[in-house]
Amino acid sequence: MFLTSRTILVAGWAIMISHCALLAAAESPDFVRDVRPILQKHCYSCHAAEKQKSGYRLDIKAAAFRGGELYGASLKPGDLAASPLFQFIADPNADLQMPPDGERLSTAEIETLKRWIEGGANWPDGVDLATLEDRTDHWSFHPVKRAELPSVGQTAWPRNEIDHFILSRLEAAGLEPSAETDRVSWLRRVYLNLIGLPPTPEQVAAFVDDTRPDAYARVVDELLQSPRYGERWAQHWLDVVRYADTHGFEVNTERPNAWPYRDYVIRALNNDTPYDRFIREQIVGDALGVDAATGFLITASVLLPGQIGKDEPSKRLARQDSIDEIVVNVGQTFLGLSVGCARCHDHKFDPISQRDYYAMQALVAGVEYEERVPDTPEVRAIREAAATDQKRLAVVDAELAQYVPLAGSGATRPMINARQNVDRFAPREAQRLKLTILATNNLEPCIDELEIFNTSGENIALASRGAKVTSSGDNVSPNRHELRFLNDGEYGNSRSWMSNEMGRGWVTVELAEPQMIQRVHWGRDRQGKFTDRLAIDYRLEVSSSDGSWHDVATAADREPYAPNAPKSQVTTLEGLTDEERSIAAPLLAERELLQKQIQAAEQLPRYFAGQFRTPDDIHLLSRGDPEQPKERAIPAVLSTFGTVNLTSEAGDRERRVALADWIANPGHPLTARVMVNRIWQGHFGVGLVETASDFGRSGMPASHPELHDWLADEFVQSGWSIKELHRRIVLSATYRQSSAYRETPAQQDADVRLLWRFPPRRLDAEILRDSMLATSGQLDLTMYGRGFDLFNQRGGLSGFTPVEHFTGQGLRRMIYAHKVRRERDAVFGAFDCPDAGQSTARRRESTTPLQALNLLNSGFTLDCAAALQSRVIREVGADPADQIRRAYQLVLNRDPVDEELADCLVVVQEHDLTVLCRALYNSNEALFLP
Amino acid sequence: MTDSLEQLSASGRALLNRRDYLSQSATALGGIALSSLLHEQGLLAATPSTPHINPAQPYAPRDSHFPARAKNVVVIFCAGAVSQLETWDYKPQLIEWDDKPLPGGPAVTFQGPAGNLARPQYNFRQRGETGKWVSDMIPHLAELTDDIAFIHSLTSKSNTHGPAENFLSTGFVLDGFPSLGSWVTYALGSESQNLPAYVAIPDPRGVPQNGSNNWGPGFLPAAFQGTTFSSKEPVRHLTAAGTTPRQDAATRRLLDQMNARHLATHPGDEKLAARIASYELAARMQLSMPGLSDLSTEPQHILSMYGADDTENADKAAFARNCILARRLIEQGVRFVQLFNGAYASGGKLNWDGHSALKDQYDVHAAILDQPAAALIRDLRQRGLLEETLVVWCTEFGRMPFFQKGAKGRDHNPDGFTCWLTGAGVRPGVSHGATDDFGQRAITEIHPLYDFNATILHLLGLDHERLTFEHNGIQRRLTNVEGHVIHEVLRT
Repeated sequence: MFLTSRTILVAGWAIMISHCALLAAAESPDFVRDVRPILQKHCYSCHAAEKQKSGYRLDIKAAAFRGGELYGASLKPGDLAASPLFQFIADPNADLQMPPDGERLSTAEIETLKRWIEGGANWPDGVDLATLEDRTDHWSFHPVKRAELPSVGQTAWPRNEIDHFILSRLEAAGLEPSAETDRVSWLRRVYLNLIGLPPTPEQVAAFVDDTRPDAYARVVDELLQSPRYGERWAQHWLDVVRYADTHGFEVNTERPNAWPYRDYVIRALNNDTPYDRFIREQIVGDALGVDAATGFLITASVLLPGQIGKDEPSKRLARQDSIDEIVVNVGQTFLGLSVGCARCHDHKFDPISQRDYYAMQALVAGVEYEERVPDTPEVRAIREAAATDQKRLAVVDAELAQYVPLAGSGATRPMINARQNVDRFAPREAQRLKLTILATNNLEPCIDELEIFNTSGENIALASRGAKVTSSGDNVSPNRHELRFLNDGEYGNSRSWMSNEMGRGWVTVELAEPQMIQRVHWGRDRQGKFTDRLAIDYRLEVSSSDGSWHDVATAADREPYAPNAPKSQVTTLEGLTDEERSIAAPLLAERELLQKQIQAAEQLPRYFAGQFRTPDDIHLLSRGDPEQPKERAIPAVLSTFGTVNLTSEAGDRERRVALADWIANPGHPLTARVMVNRIWQGHFGVGLVETASDFGRSGMPASHPELHDWLADEFVQSGWSIKELHRRIVLSATYRQSSAYRETPAQQDADVRLLWRFPPRRLDAEILRDSMLATSGQLDLTMYGRGFDLFNQRGGLSGFTPVEHFTGQGLRRMIYAHKVRRERDAVFGAFDCPDAGQSTARRRESTTPLQALNLLNSGFTLDCAAALQSRVIREVGADPADQIRRAYQLVLNRDPVDEELADCLVVVQEHDLTVLCRALYNSNEALFLP
Repeated sequence: MTDSLEQLSASGRALLNRRDYLSQSATALGGIALSSLLHEQGLLAATPSTPHINPAQPYAPRDSHFPARAKNVVVIFCAGAVSQLETWDYKPQLIEWDDKPLPGGPAVTFQGPAGNLARPQYNFRQRGETGKWVSDMIPHLAELTDDIAFIHSLTSKSNTHGPAENFLSTGFVLDGFPSLGSWVTYALGSESQNLPAYVAIPDPRGVPQNGSNNWGPGFLPAAFQGTTFSSKEPVRHLTAAGTTPRQDAATRRLLDQMNARHLATHPGDEKLAARIASYELAARMQLSMPGLSDLSTEPQHILSMYGADDTENADKAAFARNCILARRLIEQGVRFVQLFNGAYASGGKLNWDGHSALKDQYDVHAAILDQPAAALIRDLRQRGLLEETLVVWCTEFGRMPFFQKGAKGRDHNPDGFTCWLTGAGVRPGVSHGATDDFGQRAITEIHPLYDFNATILHLLGLDHERLTFEHNGIQRRLTNVEGHVIHEVLRT
């Protein structure tokens, strides 16, 4: 209808362009014949299957109309002005010029597009040469599906459900599982694997002799109950979250209170904290009474304030980077998704848009990389006690104030201070009292309250008791400084009297009736905010009803005024009567004790576990650039995987609770799958899914999808028990297989993905170090707390000299080492220890000559060899054959065979036992999981 | 290449050879089929290339993606950010505008308020046949300009030393990504099997500002980490302290027996054989490395050429010895040598971070850098090594054209600075790109450091888009998703 009239108008202009256009003008251009070739020619190199710049593709109808990241719907049928695509190619004044480089569209081409859009942008269905893949259609994004146990031929082989899945795949591939490994190998394997230490010879002997049917299960239960278990498996988790005890980047200074998080992970694993709870604690532990857990949020490197530029863009970028690290950590750790890819553009493979990414940022935008005092019962108790102490101290101070020495008694009285000064004198009858100020520390004097106490301890200077005040002259600020405030009973600068003369002035108080008085209190500001305008020289006079004036106190016998001296305290009982002493002495003692307690309470523990505040306003950022903000992001979870009800006004904790609830939901397709896979990887070296932190579409599929889902389901059903999962795995027939190489299956499955044997692998660095300390009898099993040093420095700029010989704390397990980010331990770092820069989902096992040099020649190895020699001699005495046997048992959990014994005897007799010890610690047998 | 296998038992040798053959041939055959397929689709450039690493010989030489112009690399890394305005980027306008405010300039930069423009702190003069203006601060290096390709229009993504050195060395501002040298040795291995493939030589005054992250392997296998040593500090654990050679030999013999016996009872496991081979490689390093740092075999004229015999300037002499060490490593076929000039943050005292007293501090640093570094390049050339060695001179960013308020030094400037290349494959005597009249911002041929790194890889026969490693779901590259080779600086 109205389209037609426009088409005709356009047609008139098109005549001038070309004959072709003229022909076409009679009808709206055909998409396939006329329009698509233009798009192919000019647009598809950046906006089709291969590349989708700005998240836009023009080769698929739905995507083409939907538009890219920046400008919304790019084509509006019939409306050129509302079709950014057209503006960009045709209007030289548009925001963007397309194509950005290369040949521009010809006038004829522009005209064709124009008429096509005006004619309704008819893009027929079914003509597209590409199909839009459904990015949500991916195995790990679908709900977990628990399969029936597959049936197997060798029905006697399976020990539990796992084995059904493994065996059925092996049988389908025509492969035989391996024979059961011997008991000692299994024991050594399960010890090193579960607790990271080898069994002792005695533990080996006990197990070999244990003929009970549940002997294996008993060992596993014992190991899972051992505190050593958490120390081993926490390391896997710390690798993933890139935990370190320094801040990273070039300054790399110590992060002194990071270790409570490391200890938290060890404890959580040892307690078998349900995994969903473990997740919640790490995201919002501050709401769950587990403060150390939120250290998880801020494990990344961060620039300290001094490292960030003073210019605003530098500050914005630094903050963006630090929030990004939180999002990345949450995404890869719990969900196995590379959410961070969507910081600059929609995710290339996974259904994560830039909008999703910034919505995730908004969930954690209230987190600061700071320490906080944990809200533990201990801290609460300390704080409550301190508050009580504080109150009591005020009472004690007030009481003690009565027991300052009498004025003029000969004792030195406390220095004048701005808060309150007490003048005591022998009781005397008074009608009036005069305070004359002779000097101030500066400016006109100011007094916030003057109090006169009678012998019954009542303040009778109050206006409310009929006392009247006069002065030498007033500096009046209405409602702040007025003479009436001198005796109004209210303290503080804003209820005070000020003289109108520099450095001097006087006030008198006329009492309602003559009374016996013995004490006067006065101060500059009893709220402690002001210390100027302080009377530092004065005279206090009293006149009785007969009108004669007598001095009762002056500044002369006070300690000389010194502004920077520590707060004057009552420290003397001088000048007091015996009776007064008997009251004041215990008060003084109590005061001292209270002050100590209050001081101690100020030294509260602090955890590097984040400060939480009002979240930053998060905006979508064009290309991730903080200088190009777009619309505000509403806090939300990844839209493909769920929704939360949060507004932009939601507070920090509310946001993190929503995040935790979404991840820890039993129905989340990724959460359980990712974790069971991490545990599986810890047992077999490689996960069912090889890419442990990428369950997205560019990750690897599971080798045993049904088993994977079965385990994930079982994990949730078991109450998210990690220990149950371990137990099931290590008690399976699959895990109990021999690790021996076999030619036939190796040809078919060299990487042992089908698990036709237990895949042998080199031990992790921590197991190597801990085992050497354990077998040489040096291991210190002290748990928790501040880490020991691997370097001569705990952080900083000027390089790290490694500690060569370890003693004391240095003989603890390696997980308790102070982890300097970016620096690898000088001996064991070469054994593929992560440097805590980026997350390590799986350590890549490499073999290098530097490993050999370190393990042969380091002080650590030589010290362990010497210690092992001493231990062996201590335990078995002087016979070299016995010594050799014992060394073998300790390090390798077996006796030497005769030839080995013979070889060793020659060496030991020519040299000493350390040669054997050093060789044992370097031997392949000691370094590999059997 | 295979003689390290001699130490192995027959079964171990057979095992390694077979596995090697199988995987190589599989890769090769598959590779041919795949590449022809991809070629037809025009997709070849984007195909990741995963080097085949033989676990027994991680440093064995490997093929580049296409014929390489350079075999080895020496990077002279000046830590702390060398001012382009006192060295290679001559801005006569600054003399005219000396002590005047920069019109429209920023009020606040990295460290605080900006002061007035400041003239170059050294005189400049034209050099060589190209007539390139270079300052008198570096007279020896200035003589080499006819052979150098300067890139004056580089930009960084950070104005903070740590992230910026990360960016220069790893292509990312964050910690934990693999360094350039790690990528190169991961891809190409090394010509030398007796020495580490990748050596980082810290400045005699201390480690560079960003420390070991400049030579870290990130998530690449640890085998590709830079090994640090210098003329002052030998490789750690090369020998054992407190044991006798007889004990060492007895230990090795016993260990060999143990491992051979173990291998015999565990036939077929290549990891075991690889570890045995690694001990053999270690033994060779033990033999060949001590001689490297023994400079007594260098003739006097060489020592003098580098300034290694300078008794007046101990830091210069020590840096000169590091330069000689670098040459020796290259002679031995080490793939990648990173030679640091400038140590950690120290208010500009120990590195090029001239915030407050730039001229005074640069007088000191230039004297250490200039003669030894120039001698290294000349020495490589006279030995014919420059034909196959790329020399890179770089720094993490540049400095501002104005002084900081109340100081006689320049603040950080990531928006326009100079690095250069010389040697194998490099077009000599080029000045590519430019900053504005005051040298503040790159304005023509702007190149983020991605491009600089892409160019270095290109000279080594490596396509920066194909050299990838899967990490947590992302095919990671040195150049992230950026990078264009700067063809103008390549020899045609």
